[in-house]
Amino acid sequence: MTSTRPGPAGTIPGGPALGRAAMRILNPGTTRSAAAGVLAAAAGSAAAELCAALLRPESSPLIGIGSTVIDATPTPAKEYAVRTFGAYDKPLLLIAMAAVLVLLAGGLGMVARRRPRSAQAAAAALGVLAAAAVVSRPAAAPLDAVPSLLAGAVAAVVLGLLTGPLGAPGPAAATVPADRRRFLLAAGAVAGSSLAVGGVAATIRVLTSGSAERAREAITLPPPVQPAGPRNTTPGFYTPVTDFYRVDTALTLPRVDVRQWRLRIHGMVDRPLTLDFEQLLARGLIERDITLNCVSNEVGGPYIGTTRWLGVPLAPLLRQAGVGPGADQVVARSADGMTLGTPVETVLDGRDAMLAVGMDGRPLPPEHGFPVRMLTPGVYGYAGSCKWITELELARFADFDPYWVRRGWARHAPVRTASRIDRPAPFAEVAAGTVAVAGVAWAQGRGIRAVELQVDDGPWQQVELLPGGGADTWVQWRYRWQAAPGGHRLRVRATDGTGRTQPERRATPFPDGATGWHTLAVTAT
Amino acid sequence: MKSKKTFVALLTAGVAVLALSACGGSTTAETSTSASASKGMSAAPAGEFGPGCAAVPTDPSNAGSFEAMAKVPVATAASGNPLLSTLVTAVKKANLVDTLNGAPAVTVFAPTNDAFAKIPKADLDKVLADNATLTKILTYHVVAGKIAPDQLAGVHKTLQGGDITVAGSGTDFTVDGNAKVVCGNVQTANATVYIIDSVLMPK
Repeated sequence: MTSTRPGPAGTIPGGPALGRAAMRILNPGTTRSAAAGVLAAAAGSAAAELCAALLRPESSPLIGIGSTVIDATPTPAKEYAVRTFGAYDKPLLLIAMAAVLVLLAGGLGMVARRRPRSAQAAAAALGVLAAAAVVSRPAAAPLDAVPSLLAGAVAAVVLGLLTGPLGAPGPAAATVPADRRRFLLAAGAVAGSSLAVGGVAATIRVLTSGSAERAREAITLPPPVQPAGPRNTTPGFYTPVTDFYRVDTALTLPRVDVRQWRLRIHGMVDRPLTLDFEQLLARGLIERDITLNCVSNEVGGPYIGTTRWLGVPLAPLLRQAGVGPGADQVVARSADGMTLGTPVETVLDGRDAMLAVGMDGRPLPPEHGFPVRMLTPGVYGYAGSCKWITELELARFADFDPYWVRRGWARHAPVRTASRIDRPAPFAEVAAGTVAVAGVAWAQGRGIRAVELQVDDGPWQQVELLPGGGADTWVQWRYRWQAAPGGHRLRVRATDGTGRTQPERRATPFPDGATGWHTLAVTAT
Repeated sequence: MKSKKTFVALLTAGVAVLALSACGGSTTAETSTSASASKGMSAAPAGEFGPGCAAVPTDPSNAGSFEAMAKVPVATAASGNPLLSTLVTAVKKANLVDTLNGAPAVTVFAPTNDAFAKIPKADLDKVLADNATLTKILTYHVVAGKIAPDQLAGVHKTLQGGDITVAGSGTDFTVDGNAKVVCGNVQTANATVYIIDSVLMPK
């Protein structure tokens, strides 16, 4: 901004010649027109921001255009921006956008001197362009076009006023003080009110985001109508909510205001339904211990956790809506535009598929899908556990590929039987003698029947399974190993409730889950 | 002159309003900024160095690129990189994939395929067939903790038990006298990797 401020009056940097040239370009009429254009853009932007703050933060034209620019930027350029500017890449983008807008607006202002109507039409057209950018966002609503259109309209009107009746310089404008005074007054009024409106918009934004967070903290979830029974007391069975893995694509953590939240069940249903948060809770909560894991977990990896979930059973809701003939896929949509698909028969087969509202007795944290996420036990998260859910659409697999399926991941993603050694640690040095070996094994839906451990090339040994786990949770196991000095290899494998042992063959997580026996090198000394 | 100053002041005010609107607009983008920054930091760490880095694929969607390697644990990262395929074969043979992937924080000196090619084929095959020796050699390439370039010079105890000695400074390092770091400070989810042009041998 300092670059737009000249030195002391008359000393435009660059010497007298350049100064005179600049004076010619910056003659009062031109400067005034450019200023009118910039002020019109400022007034339009401020009005749009206020409108967006009141309507929906995502409907801001600046955010919409910015996100569109980010999406359209080739990946190498994005990587360059992140490498070069680090955390400042997004503020810089906004500043660059403001700079482009100032130049455009100044230009439009100058055009307005000769062809006011064309300039006004161009300002309005910019508003329409911005609206198109905003509405093309994946999670956009039609109403999101309003702030951008308003920006175009306000800019066109202000431009008309400042370059027309209130501002048009007469033939000898520079020598007519009254004319100048009138323009200055009008321009000052526009600048002042734009600043005020922009300030109000920013304040509303801060206040509403704070109040959405307070609304979350104010929630007390009702006690479950079907409690889960006593808690498992073995350390490590439950994953602390703060340590629960998070894998999603959200750059901006969706902050959903629970008071505005609605769930729409539609598509191939007999009776479309819309529920708000209170109506959802009024259906009664079930409480379940469930292990959730991510398909991209490597063998032995960390993307798995167990917690006590609170939620509303999903199957009765779908039956109430009436699943239409031929519908075989439930497509869940999130507030940030993510789509995940789950087989209808999976949701309806009697498992505890739910719309989860709580983890460990508390409302979901924002990063785990507040206010409501879907949870489908026995299916990897990407195919059954949509966070920040806002829609359930009944559809056909043949007609719609959700987000990850479009990227080559499997349509059907039942959790594979797997097991993991948690103790000793990889490359651990343990004292020879009795060593406690422990870990977990899981096959949600089928349950775990047995876990075996192999030391070096020795025989497979049955390990002890600890009680307290269910078919939908992992099972903890332990083994007392008599370790001889030297380097050792430990391997683990599990057998599920149907009697099938997990395969030794190594498969990568892509496209439907990793396989292989978790194997660790440790040294006894 | 006075009026010009005023015009400029008005222009400045207009820009200020735009900037203010931008700030208002960016309130919700705040988390996005920091989230993408931290994502960016892990995806594109500043400071891989060395002539060998030029051979690393630059397309982030390529599993062998720095960006892709930064997101996955070290053995998985190496398996995406065609320059390290012999090392990956050796790591699989020695059953060290999960151990390397699961180690909380390590530094790996990763010999390239060319480094393995310097070993006579008969000797290499013998080593690959002998799990105990292979494990010793491979764990001699791993040090506990992530070593940053400015901490690299000096003596480090390996997971095999023996010490390695790194000499050099800046972007020019040699390990145990003859293995040059050809591409250093490569980040993976759980390890810092220095790619070297010779296989290290426990003393």
